[in-house]
Amino acid sequence: MTDHVPDLFTDGVPSRGGVDRPAETDRPPPPRVWTVRQVNRASRLLLEESLPRLWVGGEVTNFRRQRSGHCYFTLKDEAAQLRCVMFRREASRLPADPGEGMKLRVFGGLTLYEARGVFQLIVSKLETEREGGMWKLAFDRLRARLDAEGLTDPGRKRRLPAFPATVGIVTSPTGAALRDIVAVIARRAPWLRVLVRGTRVQGVGAGDEIAAAVSALAEVRGVDVIIVARGGGSIEDLWGFNEEAVARAVALSPVPVVSGVGHETDVTICDLVADLRAATPSAAAETVAPDRQWVGKRLDGLSRRLGRGLAGQVRSRRWWLDQLGDSLFRRGRRRVQASRDRMDAAGLRMAAAARSRIRREAGRLSEAAAALDALSPLSTLARGYSVPLDHDGRLLRRAEDFPRGRGFRLRVVDGYVPCAVTGRPLSAAIRAAEQTTGDDRDQ
Amino acid sequence: MTNDVGLDARLKRIEEIVASLDSDTLDLDEALALFEEGVAHLGHARQMLSRTELRVEELIGSEGDTGDMRVADDGGEGEAGDG
Repeated sequence: MTDHVPDLFTDGVPSRGGVDRPAETDRPPPPRVWTVRQVNRASRLLLEESLPRLWVGGEVTNFRRQRSGHCYFTLKDEAAQLRCVMFRREASRLPADPGEGMKLRVFGGLTLYEARGVFQLIVSKLETEREGGMWKLAFDRLRARLDAEGLTDPGRKRRLPAFPATVGIVTSPTGAALRDIVAVIARRAPWLRVLVRGTRVQGVGAGDEIAAAVSALAEVRGVDVIIVARGGGSIEDLWGFNEEAVARAVALSPVPVVSGVGHETDVTICDLVADLRAATPSAAAETVAPDRQWVGKRLDGLSRRLGRGLAGQVRSRRWWLDQLGDSLFRRGRRRVQASRDRMDAAGLRMAAAARSRIRREAGRLSEAAAALDALSPLSTLARGYSVPLDHDGRLLRRAEDFPRGRGFRLRVVDGYVPCAVTGRPLSAAIRAAEQTTGDDRDQ
Repeated sequence: MTNDVGLDARLKRIEEIVASLDSDTLDLDEALALFEEGVAHLGHARQMLSRTELRVEELIGSEGDTGDMRVADDGGEGEAGDG
């Protein structure tokens, strides 16, 4: 498009160099008339040449991201406003759009948009005065959203398999992180199968690649756990791991995911959503690979327990037998005891019977003794009787046993008395006979 | 169970056997059979543990194809590379 200047204004229009033409008449020269375009062009050049690129601080308002990718906003303070534009190339590196009213500092050059005569700042860098900057802002926003959805909830974290068979790894195929991980697994658990899905781990689009790699590995049969890893770097380098796509892929993975991104101090969105966050790629490998020695000890333990288990089975049988034997023995002993008890009881009864019998017998004995005593001649003697005995101790009972002149002994209660018959003994029969004779004679 | 059974499954099975031997009252034949099965698993597991070379494969394309992958055990690039 060439400059089109109406005839009316042809005179007095400054040439491109701005050199005045000499006046041809004495009429006052018509005013020099600039085209709008010329004015805007001149102003733009003046602005761009006289003011260096600079940092401007202010509050953002009306931030709009066009479909084209360009961003427009106004920076203002209490007294003034400045229109700003951030073109797609720069805007695409912006991790987050600033919020209304946010204090920003932007770096750029002043210019004039000739087509509309608008004075504006072309922004190449945009920073917030908040701590952590726009990265932090983007991080915090995404985190808040994921928190609200529960994707960072500790309750969602799954336990890692204690003895995985296949480990999936998402990282750069040529990076140090992969070498570190492989070295750790080779040392600790070389029986594992390691399946790598290589991706870019930084730059625009890295997040989508990482997310796709997680999903692809999760689909593979036999993969028990996935490590997402990257070595250290700036927050910008690590940005791929802070992207929403990665968070979604990790959250959706049917197998547990361990995140080992950056160094100890770097925390990424991927770390927060993962089932386990390891400080470094090597640490991630250690959480996944059981240590060979530990597994060996575990096997030793199981081996011992297996042996003990079998021994226990045998022992429990023996125990059972012992129990059976014991119970038989106890039963037998009980029977013996019962017999013994019965015998004891009988013995006691017998003894009691014997004692009472003895008592009874003793009573009878003493009665008998008393009776015997009563019959004893001694008691008769004690009553005053005495007993005549010949020299041989024979009892002399009848009158005819006492012929005249016979010596005999008289047993009295306390001794013997020597005696002799001095008269003619007279027996009752003799006396009776003599009485009969006497009667006869008397008659 | 055969040789391609994972360590995890083997250890779980051995645990089961031990639990069974510890708590159940089994036929002696049954107990012996379980014991022998456990010993076989232990043998396979130890064999697995004695492997020395780590197998690293790469997942290629979208069909789940894999291929062997060589990972250099040291390299020119450090952490400052692409990570």
